[in-house]
Amino acid sequence: MTTTTTSGPEAILSHLHSADGSATFSYAGYTIVGAVNGPIEAQRRDEIPEEAVVDVVVRPAAGVGGTRERHLEGLLQSTLRQIILVTNFPRALIQITLQVTVAPENEYVNTKVVQANTNLPILPALIQTAVLTLMSAAIPLTATLTSVVIAATTEDGSNREIVNPTAREIEKSRSLHVFAFTSHGDLILTQSEGEFTMQEWEDILACAQRQCCPSTSGDINMGDDAASGADLGTFTRSVMEAKIASDLYWK
Amino acid sequence: MATPKSLTLSSTTFAKLSPHPYLLANLQPADPSTTPTRTNGRQPAQTRTPYINTSSLSHAHGSAVVRNGDTTVICGVRGETILTSAIPNYRAPSPADHSSSSLDEARDYDLLVPNIELATGCAPNFLPGVPPTTLAQTLSTRVYSLLHSSKLVDVSRLRIYPEQVGGEKNKEDDDEKMDEAEEEIDEYAVSEDKAVKAYWVLYIDVLFISFDGNPFDTAWTAILAALRDTKLPLAYWDADREMVLCKRSQEKAIPLNLQGLPVACTASVFTAKEKQKKGSGSYWVLVDPDRLEEGLCDETVTVVVDKLRGSTKILGISKHGGTVVGPEFMKKMVATAESRWDEIHAAIE
Repeated sequence: MTTTTTSGPEAILSHLHSADGSATFSYAGYTIVGAVNGPIEAQRRDEIPEEAVVDVVVRPAAGVGGTRERHLEGLLQSTLRQIILVTNFPRALIQITLQVTVAPENEYVNTKVVQANTNLPILPALIQTAVLTLMSAAIPLTATLTSVVIAATTEDGSNREIVNPTAREIEKSRSLHVFAFTSHGDLILTQSEGEFTMQEWEDILACAQRQCCPSTSGDINMGDDAASGADLGTFTRSVMEAKIASDLYWK
Repeated sequence: MATPKSLTLSSTTFAKLSPHPYLLANLQPADPSTTPTRTNGRQPAQTRTPYINTSSLSHAHGSAVVRNGDTTVICGVRGETILTSAIPNYRAPSPADHSSSSLDEARDYDLLVPNIELATGCAPNFLPGVPPTTLAQTLSTRVYSLLHSSKLVDVSRLRIYPEQVGGEKNKEDDDEKMDEAEEEIDEYAVSEDKAVKAYWVLYIDVLFISFDGNPFDTAWTAILAALRDTKLPLAYWDADREMVLCKRSQEKAIPLNLQGLPVACTASVFTAKEKQKKGSGSYWVLVDPDRLEEGLCDETVTVVVDKLRGSTKILGISKHGGTVVGPEFMKKMVATAESRWDEIHAAIE
């Protein structure tokens, strides 16, 4: 198991002053600015009598959003609705806007703006930004999410899993998988494409589980697994801790 | 004047007023002697029988009508030619590229153009005169991704080469002008004899005639059946006239060489509580959900499998909207998809 990311994840919280909550998250070549407004009044025709409407808007780094962004919005909406306590805000709207500012480019071929090759690699960065943004807006959540993208390749007859693959590695891979787990360790989202068997999928799932939900017992998992990618769950926690500490500094 | 005789409601009124308890009451009958069924009379794992009719459109190169319960979809495939000189950033494939995956012509030059339209009136929630709905756009993207990631269409059948030297002399008679483009050939293109001069672009249009749930599976089955039915005329590059010409005779039309038979299978997870949190209450897995069921379920799983060459290959998994589905569940879902594959395979052959 290898990873291609050299620098760890970085985040800035609550830097947009007009939005209720905001965050900028950059990791694995992506930088995404997120903003949350909510709970605000929903439009009459959209409102749900007993729960809040979650609205996600994804804007690409170049051009206007197309079918690909609608698909990503749909996936994010159904996922985030599960962790936001929507029943606390009946007839309200929680709007999450995610603007991609930097996306990694494939240096080997011309990138296409209109219909990009694949939707999946950006999904973990979008999920992570959305969770940080929701926490910045103090929206009550049942859990946080951690997400990872893994490419499976065959090299010299042996299978290899690449965490956070580059655009070139994705192109050469046999299959590409995205997993998202809640902080309770439940699998909430999976998207896979390419060609694989059930056994391979289970192996990759186990790899993703090691990435996203490392066991808290400490010493045992500090081997090669822990070094292979950033622990985004711990990262989210430490970012929030740092933010709260700086907010309470005047006391 | 109608006065209610009692407080009992008819089942259709019950279904309209509170659909969730209605479906739950059907799946969890109070009387233990009745078998739990869905509101549409099916067992939880029972799918609808697909009916497939091909070559129903006369002007398309391939077409199919697929009926899956009350979801009816028509798909037409139309081929058009594009000259390589008209493709921006065109890179002539070297012989080494043909085998390796470094060059994906279908994706780089957009040789497959799927579009999905949900016709007005196919279901009450589709209104006339509005831009494509989120559902239509999502379906288009998913179909586009699956078409490319499954590598279903053999790109070598889409390449158009110069005519072989010493071919028929009477080609003037049976030629059909296909392309009016009269661009100058660039210097680089002349260099090699067997260079690709043009490509076929496949426009794959899917129209929902009636919509009763499970749109992705039905649309994908229609695309699969239409592509299997597609026959492209024999096209070649005429060096003298500098344009692509096609043989008129139907006998020379070549079918697309499809790589495998991927079949999609979707299931929704229905939970006993409307706002289920993890670990509370029972759930049902409804395979091939209809429109009512889709509206009541948060979590959806789609598995794409292909077992044309014996062992089962998985070509795609998509699951979102809940935490009920875990790894063990996914195994069962793949088994369900395998039996769905047999069903579609039988209908398509």
